Amino acid sequence: MLTCEQVAAQATDYMEATAPLPRRLGIWAHLRICPNCREYLRQLAQTIGLLQRSPTPPPDTATEDALVALFAAQPKRD
Amino acid sequence: MAGEDAAVLARLRAGDQAAFRELVRARHGALLRLAGTFLRNRASAEEVVQDTWLAVITGLHSYSGEAPLAAWINGILANKAKTRAVRDGRMVNFSALAQAEAADDPFEPERFLADGHWANPIRPWAAMTPEREAGDREMLAVVAAALETLPPAQRAVVLLRDVEGMDSASICATLEITEANLRVLLHRARTRLRAVANSAGNAP
Ligand SMILES: [Zn+2]
Repeated sequence: MLTCEQVAAQATDYMEATAPLPRRLGIWAHLRICPNCREYLRQLAQTIGLLQRSPTPPPDTATEDALVALFAAQPKRD
Repeated sequence: MAGEDAAVLARLRAGDQAAFRELVRARHGALLRLAGTFLRNRASAEEVVQDTWLAVITGLHSYSGEAPLAAWINGILANKAKTRAVRDGRMVNFSALAQAEAADDPFEPERFLADGHWANPIRPWAAMTPEREAGDREMLAVVAAALETLPPAQRAVVLLRDVEGMDSASICATLEITEANLRVLLHRARTRLRAVANSAGNAP
């Protein structure tokens, strides 16, 4: 049986599905019986979710308008 | 291509300025952040983003629609940013960085007992419950700030993989690193970001 430390060390390989199948099965078996590791992996997934939702500032109005003007100046194909 | 992308693309190809404005609003900041992976200099990054938008405008009719719209634009940006970095003599060697960041990173946030069990139980984040949206917003800010403090190669892989959702092969090609480099960097970065989120998530 894998230890929690081993599971934590291979968490990314497990989540990215890059660990070989026997390893993944070992981690999967550990997760079934270990609430701490389950929560740990859930938090890694939640962290990725937070990253995906991390906001970026919109461009300032002048930049935005200049880009739209560039787009508008493009000759139409249709 | 997703239906939403197809609809946006059709509007863009028809010259719909509102659609282009929306796209710029949604992606400009993300493109600047991506450009920053290759170019430390803010002015260079801004120029490259500008060039990217021009390439998007002129390339709309030749874009195959195979890759999602955002991925297509990201690809243009990455190419231009790399070219610019080489021209400026400032191309970042991510492969060397990856090895350096792996070698001397003393960061080990997780604590284990001698038998390999967690030293402390992993508690769910109180700030992430559906009832606490404000907590959630604070966690977003905390994680976004932590991303900017990561060592450069770790920041780059998290940005490409987790924020932009690029596949591993494209990331390795873009950053010129091996799959093994990518896995190690990603693991360290995510471990670190989770630790930061954990402190915020269980703050009283
Ligand atoms: Zn465990």
